[in-house]
Amino acid sequence: MKLTYLILSLGLAFGMAEAKGERLVIKGSDTLGAKLVPQLAESFKAQHPGTTFDIAAEGSTTGIAAIIDGTAEIGMSSRRAKSSEVGAANAKGKNMKPTIVAYDGIAVIVNSGSSVKSLTKKQVEQIFAGDVTDWSAVGGSGGKISIYTRNTSSGTYSEFKELAMKKRDYAKSSQKMAGNEQIAAEVGKNSSGVGYVGMAYTKASGVKVVSIDGATPSVKSVQDHSYPYWRPTFYYTNGEPGGLAKQFVDFTLSSGGQSIVSRVGFVPVK
Amino acid sequence: MFTKKFALIAVILSFVVPPMSMFAQDAGALLDLLVKKRLISDQEAEEVRAELTKEASTTSGGKWKLSSPITEIELYGDIRLRYQYNGGQTTDNSPLGAHANGTAGHDDWQERERERYRLRLGLRGTLADDWFFGIRFETNASSRSTNITFGDDTAGGNGPFAKNSDTLNVGQAYLGYKGFKDITLTGGKMPNPLVSTLMVWDPDINPEGLAEQWKHTYNFEFGGGSTTAAAEGYSKEGGKGFVAPAPTEPFKLKLDLFVNFAQFVYDDSNPENPLGPRATTTSQVGRVRGSQLIPNTDAFLLAWQVGAKLTFPKNIFLQVAPTIYNYTGNGDTFNIHYQGGSPFVTNAVSLAQNQTGINSLLIFDVPWEIGWKIGELPMHAFGDFAVNLEADQRAKAALHPGYGDERYAYQAGLGVGQLKQKHDWQVDVWYQHAEQYSLDPNLVDDDIFDGRQNMHGVAAKAGYALSDAVVLSVTWAYGWRINDNLGTGGTPIAIGINPLDQYQFFVADLNIKF
Repeated sequence: MKLTYLILSLGLAFGMAEAKGERLVIKGSDTLGAKLVPQLAESFKAQHPGTTFDIAAEGSTTGIAAIIDGTAEIGMSSRRAKSSEVGAANAKGKNMKPTIVAYDGIAVIVNSGSSVKSLTKKQVEQIFAGDVTDWSAVGGSGGKISIYTRNTSSGTYSEFKELAMKKRDYAKSSQKMAGNEQIAAEVGKNSSGVGYVGMAYTKASGVKVVSIDGATPSVKSVQDHSYPYWRPTFYYTNGEPGGLAKQFVDFTLSSGGQSIVSRVGFVPVK
Repeated sequence: MFTKKFALIAVILSFVVPPMSMFAQDAGALLDLLVKKRLISDQEAEEVRAELTKEASTTSGGKWKLSSPITEIELYGDIRLRYQYNGGQTTDNSPLGAHANGTAGHDDWQERERERYRLRLGLRGTLADDWFFGIRFETNASSRSTNITFGDDTAGGNGPFAKNSDTLNVGQAYLGYKGFKDITLTGGKMPNPLVSTLMVWDPDINPEGLAEQWKHTYNFEFGGGSTTAAAEGYSKEGGKGFVAPAPTEPFKLKLDLFVNFAQFVYDDSNPENPLGPRATTTSQVGRVRGSQLIPNTDAFLLAWQVGAKLTFPKNIFLQVAPTIYNYTGNGDTFNIHYQGGSPFVTNAVSLAQNQTGINSLLIFDVPWEIGWKIGELPMHAFGDFAVNLEADQRAKAALHPGYGDERYAYQAGLGVGQLKQKHDWQVDVWYQHAEQYSLDPNLVDDDIFDGRQNMHGVAAKAGYALSDAVVLSVTWAYGWRINDNLGTGGTPIAIGINPLDQYQFFVADLNIKF
C-alpha cells in the first residue's frame, strides 16, 4: 500500500513538473537571438510560469541545421533557407516551414567621426568586395578602409552578399565578427571602420548609419521596401509548429509580441 | 482561403516558369510583384517560395550546387565509335634493309585496322564581371588524337579489356575576359582561336598560351522602302481590283571583321640555364654531326590573323582570314633541323631522320570559305593556300638546297548540305597538296595523308544525322607523293613508312554529342 502511494506520488510529481516546466529549445540567428527572442521569451515566461527556454544564438546556419537535426523546436534565421538546406531537410523527412516574425534593415555603419554620410549601392559593393580600399574614393576624407563583417554561419553575412554585393566574395582584408554587437563595437573604436548590423544595433555608441542611395533604414522604409537592404527574419519549424513552439510563435506574432519587436528595434510584420 | 490562393499562385507560376530546377529563384520576382500589388502577403509569398524551393531541391538540377560567381555553365561533350583503316605503300626503288620480318620491301603495303572510341567531356561557363572559363577532359594523351583503340592494352598482365590506355587527360583548361568591347582575351590550354583548315591545323590540337581576339560586326542597308506601282489583280469575290504593292526589301549586308593574335608556348626548354657546359648533338643534324650546340631557349608559335566575313542576303557568305605564323626560339624537343626522310636510304634510316624540327618556318596562310544556297540546299566551297617564306633555308638545312621551291600548300573543296539537325546530311570533297617544306608537320591534321608533307590527293567526307545529337559519317582519303626525290616529312602517325608512295585512309564514325 505504501509502495503504491509512493509510486503514485512520484508519478504525480513528475507529471506536474512536466506540465509546469516545459522547455523550448531555440537556436540560430544572432540578429534575432541576441536581443529580440530573449526579451520575447521573458515576456512569454511571465504569462506561462514554469516554462524554460534554451536559446543559442550562433548564426542562422546553426538554426536551420538544428531543425534538420531535430535538436531545436524553433530555428531563428535572418535569411531564407538555401535550397541545399531544404534538400537536406527533405532527405531527413523534415519540412522547413518559415514564419516571418519581423522585418529588419541591414544598416551600413561607419565611425561617428567619419565624414561619410551617404553611399551608393555601387560604392557599398566596391567597399565590401575590396575594389575600393581608401575612403577618399567614396567621398571620405581619406584613410584605409577597415571592413567588419559577420562570420560565415551568419544569415546576415550571406544576406548582405546577396542584397548588396551581387553575391561577390568579401574583401580578403575584411575581419569577421561573431555578432552585430561586436561589429558595432569595432566600428565605434575605429575611425576608418565600416560594417553592417541589423537595425536593432544601430544605437551603439560611436557609430552612425549612412544612407544608401538616399534611403536610411527605418520602420517606414523597411515596410514599404524602399530601403534596398530590407529583409524578413524567420522562425523555421518542422512543418506546422505544435505545442509550446506554436504558443511561442503565436505569441511572437501577437500584438504583445510585435510591440516587443518594435521596442527592440525591428520592424513589426503587422 | 489560403490553400486556394496558394494553389492558384502555384498553378500560375508553373505556367510562367516551367523548369522546376529554376523555379524558386525565378518565381521570386513574380512573388515580389504579387506582394507589391498586395495580392498576397509576405508570409504567403514566403510559404509558396519555401514550397517551390523544396520541390526544386528534389529535382536533379536542384541538387547541383554552383559557386555564386558563376552566371552560366554548360556541360557538354561527345562519345565516338570509330572503325579506322590506314594503309601506306613503300616506293619501288628505295634501298632495302636486310630482308626480315618488319622490314620494308618494294611496293610493300603496311595496313592497319582499328576499332576505336573517344570521349570528350567539357564544362564551360561565364562568371561575374565578364570573365569566363572552360575545361575539357579527353581520352588519349596525344595532342593530335582523342582516340583509344579497343584491345590495344592487353599486354602488361591486365588481361583483355584492360584500362591501361583508357585514361582521361586535360585537353582544355583556360580562362578569359570579355570586359572590353568586342575583345576576348584568353589564356591557358584553349580551343584554337584561329580560323584554319585541316591542311594547316589538326582540330584535335588545343594550343597553350595566350590569345587576343577582336571582332566587330558592321551592318549595311542599301535601298529598300520604296514601292513599285500597284499591280492589277483580282479580288476573291471575283471583281477586278488592285493588289497593294509591297515595299521593296533593303539589300542587307553584314560585315564581320576580326583580328586574332596568338602567342603559344610551343616547347618549354627546361632548364634554360643547365649546369655545366651545354649539350651538343650526337647524331647527324643537317651538315653538322655531333658538335652542334643544342639550343635551350623556349620555342613560341606566334600568329597574327586578320579576317572578314561578308554575309549577303539569303545566307550567301564569303570569309577569308589571312594569317602569318612565325616561330621564335627552338625549345628542347624541336630544336634539330627538319629533314623529312629520303627515298635514297632504307626506310628505317629515312624514318630516323628528323621529322619535327621547326627551323625556318614563316608561313603565310589564307583559309577561305564561300557559302550559298541552291533552293533550300546549303552549299559551300572552301580552301586554303599557304606558303613558307623561309622554305629555301628549310630545304638547305635538310640537305636539299635545290628544293626550296617546295614551299606551297593548298586545298580546295566543295560541300553540299549541312549537319544541323535530325535527317540533315552533308558531303564534302576536296583536293589537298602540301609540299615538303611548306607547313609545320607537327600541326597538320594526322588523318588526311598521315600528317605528312610532300603528299597530295583527294578526300571526301559524308555524314548523316540520325538524330539531332547523333551523326553517322564516313571519311576517305587517298594520297600520293608529290616529289619522288624527297621523303614524306612528318612524324609517322599510323604508317611506319617514309617516303609514303601512296596512302589510303578510311573511317566510319558514329558520334553522339551531348
